[in-house]
Amino acid sequence: MSVLPWHRRHAGRASGAALAALALTLMTACGEPPGEESDAEGESAGLADDPQFVWAVTGADRQIHEDVARLWNENNPEQQVEVFFLAPTADEQRQAMFQDLQSQAGEFDVLGLDVIWTGEFADFGYIESLEDMRGEIEGVSLPGAIDSAQWQQELYALPYSSNGAFLYYRTDLIDEPPTTWDELYETGMEAAEEEGIAPFVGQGDQYEGFVVTYLEMFWSAGGELFDDAQENSTFLEGDAAQTALDFMVEGQENGFFAEGFDSMVEDDARALFQSGEAVYMRNWPYAIPLLEGEEGEESEVAGNFDVAPLPTFTGEGTTSALGGLNNAVSSLSENKDLAREFVLWAATDAEAQDILAGHSLPPTMLSAYDDADDPNFEMLGEILAEADARPPVPGYNSLSLVIQDNLHPAFLGQQDPESALEAVDNAANDALEQD
Amino acid sequence: MGRIFLAPSLTFMALIALFPVFYAIGMSLYNIRGFHRDFVGVDNYVDALTDPSFWNAAKNTLIFTVASVSLEFVIGMAFALIMHQAFVGRGLTRAVILVPWVIPTAVAAQVWRYMFDHNPGFVNAVLGTEINWLRDPAWAMVGIISADVWKTAPFVALLLLAGLQTIPRDYYEAAKMDGAGVVQRFWSVTLPLLRPAIVVALLFRTVDALRMFDFAYVFAGYSNSLATLSVYAQRFLVAEPQLGYANALSTVTFVIVMLVGLAFISRMGRQMVGDVGRKEKR
Repeated sequence: MSVLPWHRRHAGRASGAALAALALTLMTACGEPPGEESDAEGESAGLADDPQFVWAVTGADRQIHEDVARLWNENNPEQQVEVFFLAPTADEQRQAMFQDLQSQAGEFDVLGLDVIWTGEFADFGYIESLEDMRGEIEGVSLPGAIDSAQWQQELYALPYSSNGAFLYYRTDLIDEPPTTWDELYETGMEAAEEEGIAPFVGQGDQYEGFVVTYLEMFWSAGGELFDDAQENSTFLEGDAAQTALDFMVEGQENGFFAEGFDSMVEDDARALFQSGEAVYMRNWPYAIPLLEGEEGEESEVAGNFDVAPLPTFTGEGTTSALGGLNNAVSSLSENKDLAREFVLWAATDAEAQDILAGHSLPPTMLSAYDDADDPNFEMLGEILAEADARPPVPGYNSLSLVIQDNLHPAFLGQQDPESALEAVDNAANDALEQD
Repeated sequence: MGRIFLAPSLTFMALIALFPVFYAIGMSLYNIRGFHRDFVGVDNYVDALTDPSFWNAAKNTLIFTVASVSLEFVIGMAFALIMHQAFVGRGLTRAVILVPWVIPTAVAAQVWRYMFDHNPGFVNAVLGTEINWLRDPAWAMVGIISADVWKTAPFVALLLLAGLQTIPRDYYEAAKMDGAGVVQRFWSVTLPLLRPAIVVALLFRTVDALRMFDFAYVFAGYSNSLATLSVYAQRFLVAEPQLGYANALSTVTFVIVMLVGLAFISRMGRQMVGDVGRKEKR
């Protein structure tokens, strides 16, 4: 399995950000479009002699996107696509696309959007409605992925790639993977005490990963962020928000989360689990080959771990936040018909989606999981079928920052949980507003 | 004639310095969400000045600036006095002391973050403490202040050293003859004569500290716990794109920095800066 994008996206986030901020200041001041020499980050792949349109996509998992584009170019020699690789970090990708659109440069025809950006891009007028293509993907793509591609029941993008969470557990310490969070807590605490290691590691730093960690518990307690029409926040309806936060606060007080969990990102958790320092880990699938000690990796847990779906509070089913990319058509594109054709093809062509699967980037086409011979891949398909999309409302990023700013201190006991949950509820309502 | 010769550089300055400033001020009068743009007048400024997170960022910036600049000044002064003494290896010491200052701030911030981090970090082990350096807001502030002091105290030291070297030995000899002790010579000879250098050092550092971005962002991202004015403006430029509001925040930051800079020059240093100017003419 190759390293999945999520992992890379966060690995270099901080160091590049300061430089990017500088570059952004300079670029906004001069109004230069990306793709000029001023943008050191992006780069064309040089796949087409006579490109008819441009696909802007993350620079992580380059090879995969390149292979997909090559396949399209082989099939459509008259209508070749050029790939423009953006930076591997999510913030920088969004920034580059914003600049292309806001400055009216319009160099990009197809935009590879993170699953949480749909509402924002739609609200900004950046992308075309693809509602008329809904029939082509319903029953074909993962339902969660379709959810992530629509805003106010209108489809603005088509699914392309996905990602979901596994519960990693130590087979030498745990016989059967837990089906409830409480069971996980108890077995984890017990095994950890015997071994002198930590019960649980995962994404606990104050960033999007923490939001995902919290939302997965929130969903698995039966919570929903918004009503079906996406008009009101339902964050505080029922007791899911409280249950999830209580579980985390209590866990933090009792040492359920490893020390340093509050500044841990994907790869920190992976490194600890890999050195045998934890009983359980919540992480993306990229960790499997590393933990197995493939490609010269040193692993203390090779052969002594397995993966399972994440538990819930009720013991029914599983949940996972959905990662991945959707493709959208830029409203500045001069070749919209072709761009739409490509977006549909990338979502529904079995051969294209198989390229993703072949590189262990989870595809969004349901059929890609049917004939999998790898049991983990098959399980991933089942997890993704039940996975929840973080609602791609226009203000998702603001909402995420408010969750980080309130629930993270509450989790650490620095803020009153009650007021923290209320702040999130208010922010959820604000995130729906369109000025 | 002079004006004609000045014209190209003036135009150049106007294009690269003034145009972006006015462009940003212009943008700050709009509510911009993607392709939707409405003129809202000074609403963004009203929002900024009534936004608790903005005042929180201002408070963080103020604490950081006062603490880091004072410490840098005291430590820098000590370094400068030591380096001013003639001793073997003085040239090498001067070069070595500048190393932290030469490291790019973003890189230094990453290194400090790792030191404070629970897992690869070692600060708690060295100090024998159990402090949550990164996620306890008060200690995180201590962390970024330490990092900034480490990084820029040498710079202050160099500026002050340059000032020390312009003070003629005669004054010290005369003071000695009159029976002034070491301490009195420092207060009555060194400090007053060093004033121009001190003003320049403090001005540079204060203005720089007010704009600080790297340390706060690397340690805590956009979190309100550490966000400075620059981080808060960046948040609305990149993370929650509201270009109008972001430009209003940048403009407010710009005005604050400029006012502080002007206050420095007029209150403490106009005379001295003037003196420097006259000396250079001679």
